[in-house]
Amino acid sequence: MPEPVYLDHAATTPVREEVLAAMLPFFGPRFGNPSSVHRWGREARTALDEARERVGRCLGASPDEIVFTSCGTEADNMALIGVWRARHGEGRRAAVSTPIEHKAVLGALHQVAREGGEERLLAVDSSGRVAAGSFESLVRDDAAVCSVMWVNNEIGTMQDIPALAQQAKERGVVFHSDAVQAFGKVEIDARTTPFDMLSISGHKIGAPKGIGALFIRRGTPMEALMFGGAQDRGRRPGTENVAMAVGLACAAELTVAEREEEVRRLSALRERLEAALLARVPDAVIHGRGAPRAPHVTNISIPGTESESMLIALDLRGIACSAGSACQSGSINPSHVLEAIGVSTDVAKSALRLSLGALTTEASIDRVIEVLPMLVEKARRLAPA
Amino acid sequence: MTRERVLVAMSGGVDSSVAAALLVRQGYDVVGATMKLFCHGDDVPDRPCCSLDSVNDARRICEQLGIPHYVLNLESAFGHDVVRDFVDEYARGRTPIPCVRCNTFTKFRDLVRKADAMDARWIATGHYARMIDGALHRGLDPAKDQSYFLWGIDQRVLSRMLLPVGAQTKAETRAVAHELGLELIAEKRESQDICFVPDGDHTRIIARVLGADAAALARGPVVLRDGRVVGEHDGYARFTVGQRRGLPGGFAEPMFVVAIEPATRAVVIGTRDELLGRGIVAREVNWLGAMPVIGAEVSVQIRHRARAVPGVIVRIADDEVEVALDEPASAISPGQSMVLYQGDRVLGGGVIERGRRALPVRAA
Repeated sequence: MPEPVYLDHAATTPVREEVLAAMLPFFGPRFGNPSSVHRWGREARTALDEARERVGRCLGASPDEIVFTSCGTEADNMALIGVWRARHGEGRRAAVSTPIEHKAVLGALHQVAREGGEERLLAVDSSGRVAAGSFESLVRDDAAVCSVMWVNNEIGTMQDIPALAQQAKERGVVFHSDAVQAFGKVEIDARTTPFDMLSISGHKIGAPKGIGALFIRRGTPMEALMFGGAQDRGRRPGTENVAMAVGLACAAELTVAEREEEVRRLSALRERLEAALLARVPDAVIHGRGAPRAPHVTNISIPGTESESMLIALDLRGIACSAGSACQSGSINPSHVLEAIGVSTDVAKSALRLSLGALTTEASIDRVIEVLPMLVEKARRLAPA
Repeated sequence: MTRERVLVAMSGGVDSSVAAALLVRQGYDVVGATMKLFCHGDDVPDRPCCSLDSVNDARRICEQLGIPHYVLNLESAFGHDVVRDFVDEYARGRTPIPCVRCNTFTKFRDLVRKADAMDARWIATGHYARMIDGALHRGLDPAKDQSYFLWGIDQRVLSRMLLPVGAQTKAETRAVAHELGLELIAEKRESQDICFVPDGDHTRIIARVLGADAAALARGPVVLRDGRVVGEHDGYARFTVGQRRGLPGGFAEPMFVVAIEPATRAVVIGTRDELLGRGIVAREVNWLGAMPVIGAEVSVQIRHRARAVPGVIVRIADDEVEVALDEPASAISPGQSMVLYQGDRVLGGGVIERGRRALPVRAA
C-alpha cells in the first residue's frame, strides 16, 4: 500500500519535534509548581511567564492579556459566558454569533440563553460570510458580546474581522473571535485589529491536545467560570500546565514565523487539488470557493456519493479526511455549517473536508487526485437507481 | 494472493466479536462496523446516545484484533424499515418481530451496500445459523439457533454470507473469546430487549411515534368470541395472541387472548382450546432457494424457540403461502414469523397473517 495520506489537519496536527523537545524538561527536572516559593517553583514560574509573553507576542498582545486554557472550547466558553455574565446587568442581555460557528461557541451561546440571555444569530451568505446588514441590525447597544470565527473550520471561509470588530467596538459590544483555524493562516495582530478577545488552540498548530489560550484585551469585563486559587489573576484558577504552555508558545512562534511561506505552499497545493478534482469530476461542488478562504481547507460535495461510504473507502486506501461533525459514537451527521449556508441536505450528505498542513506534500495531493475520482466513479456505479 | 475482505457487523457483544476474531484467524481481511440505528438522546439516561457503550466495546475489540472499525449511520432507513413498521404493526393489532426486518432490510440489504462500497466480497454477523453449500441452516446449538430471524433476506446475498459462530455453542463462543483474550466482552450479558426499546416497554415507542392518544393505547373492551363484554383493557397494543397476563379473572378455565380487533379496539379472549389452529396463512413470503412445490412436507416454526411442527404446503399465491399442520399449534400470532424448514435447512418464511382452526385442504 502506498504511503498513508493525512488530510485532516483541521481536526488535529502532529506535535512538532521542536515543541516536544521544549516541553520535555517540564515532565522531568523542571517539574515545579509555578505558585511555589522555592527554586523549583521559581523555575516553573519563569517558564510559564515566558510562555505567556511569547504567545502574547505572536498575537500582538501583552502577557497579562493571555490566559492559558485547556483547549479552544474552554477559551470560547470563557469568552462568551464570562463576558455575558459580567455585562447582562447593564442592559446588555443579548449574545450574538453566527450559525456556522464551531459547537464550542454555539454551545456557549445556548448556555447564555439558558441563563436568561437572548441568543442572536447573524445571517450568512452562501459562502458563509456574515451579511453586513444583519450585523448592523443585530449587534446593537443591547448586546453584551459578539463572536465571529475568523476562519471556518469546515469550509475555510474567512470573515472580515477587522471591519466587524470595529463596528462592534463602536456599539460597545465586546467582540470575540474564534481563531483556532485562523492562527498561522491569517495575520492576527491585536495592536491593529480592535477585537477584544480571541481563542487559539495548540493542537491545530503542532502543540499537543489539551492546551489553548484566550486573549483578553485589558479592561474587557469578564467573570471567571471556575473558582479556586489566584492563578492567572483568578481568571483561570488551577495549577498551571507549564509544559503545555511552553509547548503552545513554541508552536505558536514557529507557526507565525512560517506563516507566509506556508500559506503560499498550501494555497498552491490546494489549488492543484481542486483544479484536478473539478477536471475529473466536473459536477463536484467546492463550498465557499468564490469567497476569501484560508488556504488549508477544501470542502467538496460530489453528487451521487455519500460522505460516510467515501470516508471509509478512502480510509481503507490510506487517505484520511473528514465530513460533517462526528457525534459521540463516531457516526457522521450532516454538517450544520453547510445547512446554514443553504446547501441542500442531499448535497451536504456527500460532503468531504480535506484539510492540508504540515504533512501535506505534492505526493499526497497526487494520491488523492488518483484515488478520489476512481472511488466516485465506483460509488456512482453502485448507487441504487 | 490478496486476502478477501469481509465486513463484520459488530454490536459490541460476544457473538459478533468472536465472529470477527475467527475471521481474522482464518486469514480474511476483516473490517468491523457498528450500525448506529437509533438515538435515544436524553430519553434514556443510563443508556447514552446511540448505545455508545456498545460502539466503544466494538471499537476496542477491533483495535485489539488490529482491524479497522467504523460506525455506520443507518438511522434513517432503520427508522423507516424497522421502527415505523414495528409501531404500525402494533396499531394493526399484531405482534411484530423487528429483528426479522432488521436482518432483511438493515443488515442484509443496507449493510451489504456498505460492503460493496468497501470492496468487501463477504458480509458476516454473529448469528447462530450456518451456511452450508450456499444454503441457510439452523445453528448447531438448538438453544441459540437464530435462523428463525433470517428467513427474509434476499437469496442473492446468501452466497456472500459468513456466519462464523453458527457451528458452535454459546459456551464455546465464550471460550473462544477467552482464548483470544477478548476479556472485555467474553462474559458480557446477552441482550434480551429489542434494541430500540431499551426499557422493555414497547408502548413508549408507540406513544412517541403515534402520540399518547393513539387508539392502540386507548381503553377498549375485553370480549368473548360471542361479543359479550367481560372487562376493559388499557390499550390493545399491550396484548398478544396467546397472552394471559392482564386479563380479567373469574372464568371456569384459564382464558387467553385469541384475537385483537383494532376496528373496535377489542381484545378477544377464549379458552386454551380456542387458541389452537391447524392452518396458517403467511404473507410477505420470501424463499431462500427455489420455491417449494405444493404438497411439500415441511417443518413449521411459528415462534422463536418454539418446536417446529410437521406440516404440508397447501397453497402458494403471489405473496402468500398456506400450510396445513399435522398437529394443532397454539397461539398463532399475526405479525410473528412462520418459518419453513426441511431438516435444518431454512426454505423461507413469511409474516403470519392468520391462523385457521380447521385443517386447510390442499389446493387442486
